[in-house]
Amino acid sequence: MLLYEYEAKRLFKEQGISIPQGEVAKSASEAAEIARKIGKPVTIKAQVLALPGVEAGNNQTAGGPEEARRMAEGVLKKPFGGQLVSELLVEESLPFQKEIHVAIRVDGAAGAPLVMASLERLSDLDEEVKASAKAASAHADPFHGLKSHEARKMAKALGFTGDAAVKLADQFHRLYKAYAKWNALTAGFNPLVMTPEGNFSASGAFLELDDSALFRFPQFRELSLSRILDPLAREGKTIGVTYVGLEGDIGIICTGAGIGMATVDLISKRSRPANFLETGGGITEKQMADVMRLVLKKPGLKGVFLNMYGGINPIHEGAKGVVKVIREDKVKIPVVAKAIGNFQEETWEILEEGGVTVIKTIPTDQAVEELFKRLGK
Amino acid sequence: MSILIDEKTRVVVQGITGRMGAVQTMHMLKAGTKITAGVTPGRGGARVEGVPVYDSVEEAMAEQEINTSVLFVPAPVAEESCMEAVDAGVKLLILITEHIPTHDTMRIRAYVRSHGARLIGPTTPGVVTPGKCKIGIMPTILFTPGPVGIISRSGTMSYEMAGLLSTQGIGQTTMVGMGGDPVVGTSLVELLELFQKDRATRVVVVHGEIGGTQEESAAAFIRQKMTKPVIAYMTGKVALEGSRMGHAGAVFVGKRGAMENKIKAFREAGVPIADSPGEIAGLVRKALKA
Repeated sequence: MLLYEYEAKRLFKEQGISIPQGEVAKSASEAAEIARKIGKPVTIKAQVLALPGVEAGNNQTAGGPEEARRMAEGVLKKPFGGQLVSELLVEESLPFQKEIHVAIRVDGAAGAPLVMASLERLSDLDEEVKASAKAASAHADPFHGLKSHEARKMAKALGFTGDAAVKLADQFHRLYKAYAKWNALTAGFNPLVMTPEGNFSASGAFLELDDSALFRFPQFRELSLSRILDPLAREGKTIGVTYVGLEGDIGIICTGAGIGMATVDLISKRSRPANFLETGGGITEKQMADVMRLVLKKPGLKGVFLNMYGGINPIHEGAKGVVKVIREDKVKIPVVAKAIGNFQEETWEILEEGGVTVIKTIPTDQAVEELFKRLGK
Repeated sequence: MSILIDEKTRVVVQGITGRMGAVQTMHMLKAGTKITAGVTPGRGGARVEGVPVYDSVEEAMAEQEINTSVLFVPAPVAEESCMEAVDAGVKLLILITEHIPTHDTMRIRAYVRSHGARLIGPTTPGVVTPGKCKIGIMPTILFTPGPVGIISRSGTMSYEMAGLLSTQGIGQTTMVGMGGDPVVGTSLVELLELFQKDRATRVVVVHGEIGGTQEESAAAFIRQKMTKPVIAYMTGKVALEGSRMGHAGAVFVGKRGAMENKIKAFREAGVPIADSPGEIAGLVRKALKA
């Protein structure tokens, strides 16, 4: 789950990280009012959900309230990065002598968080941090966190000395504390600035929470659904499945992520999938009916392809849900299903009685060929 | 021969009284797996499918022969449950549970490794040595004994690959589901190392996907250390940047985790890549003849 920058900043502030003075505006007049209160040049940032590392490029600086109002009018209610901007973060523009880009992410190979910092904006912090002389990194310990001496070593490697190095290391440390506290996948400053007085402030911030950890944070668990921008993907989440919208016209339902990706890849060779959908384990009749109705919502669909394995999933139960929807909703487009594993014979019978073309062999290639045949491709 | 599990494996099922734990215990017993105990705190003294249930792994170990644990516990208690198994002296943990917070998984992995034990998963279908021992949730009928090792990042893809080989008369030594999360207990390289050492395994089939750098590391290992042929099949070629394709670990951002890197690395290591599942058996047959 991605957070908006102002949310990340609030959580960082709780950890004792200093952030520029600012507020969220939902209208141009609010933006002007906040600028007036701050009484200094302000930066206006459109609040969109962007992946950490993806360059936002949406910051504008306004000299005073009237300029802030004009700029806000130019951004609000307009699309940015594929999203409609409804909120702006208006905050003081800090003069600075140095900026430091910092990111923490999960290093799968090491099985530990990796903390990275650089004096340059790197297009891919990850790739380039090792090659750059102006960058430093350290792994945190999953139990003990980022050790202070490691943080100080990083600050020194970036060329900071004396008091500045200690202060900077403290910022790394606090960022790590926030990252650990919120069970985050990524956290960072883009950037952290050092003011002429030698203080540090997080002028840019990002935080991505782990969907699997949201049961610990009910306040975000409730919000997380609204952060899924595609309505069909959001509905998928409420049903308990993963739906990723694609641009084609063949609906896809799979009972696992691997076979789901393989199916999308194969269909894409000659046609275009409308979606990726995988149910994960533990399907039921009701869930598969909901899943069918969800996939069928996409306009202009030419066919539906199901790829099901009965391992952890009772596919004979799932099959009942599929044929129920075909019958009740009078589905006219071809439905082709491959079903293999525990309870396969029962599953085949249910599907065939419901008018589904059933593929009883294993290779997904052949099953996809059958689908194309049914579609006249 | 096989890797990780065989006829000598004795299994405790943690979370045996849950719906999934009970059903899968039944399937595993049918496949011939020697399950000597189950554990659910507070349910000691019960029986599931005839298997005695204990309150703790320690108590189960005191009375039964156990060297491996399979965990069907809820995600919020996965970390505690793994530590319990390790503290009791279990050497191999197979963690089926999905949706474990990544921070928990990092601690589980570190704890298991620092105590000289091994973790497979989380989010794994499990491990199966056909005809000898099945630990996990995979459909038994798709697996047959033979000379091919399988490593997969996905449950369903591992079923497809094993099923395709089995119907062509090509059996498997062991299939290991690595797990679909960003952090897993045992890496692709470590599993390749085990198959390289296993005398019965003649060819290894790897299913890789977008996300992470496991395939790139594996390609380097194959080039330098592996003498047995490796065949790869990759999924996630058609994926949206930043979208998690079902597995928490199946995501790419920019170049990080992207498919091109992985395919390039395998090509440079001389690993044949099947373009579709249907091509896998042919490539394996060719490798077996060579």
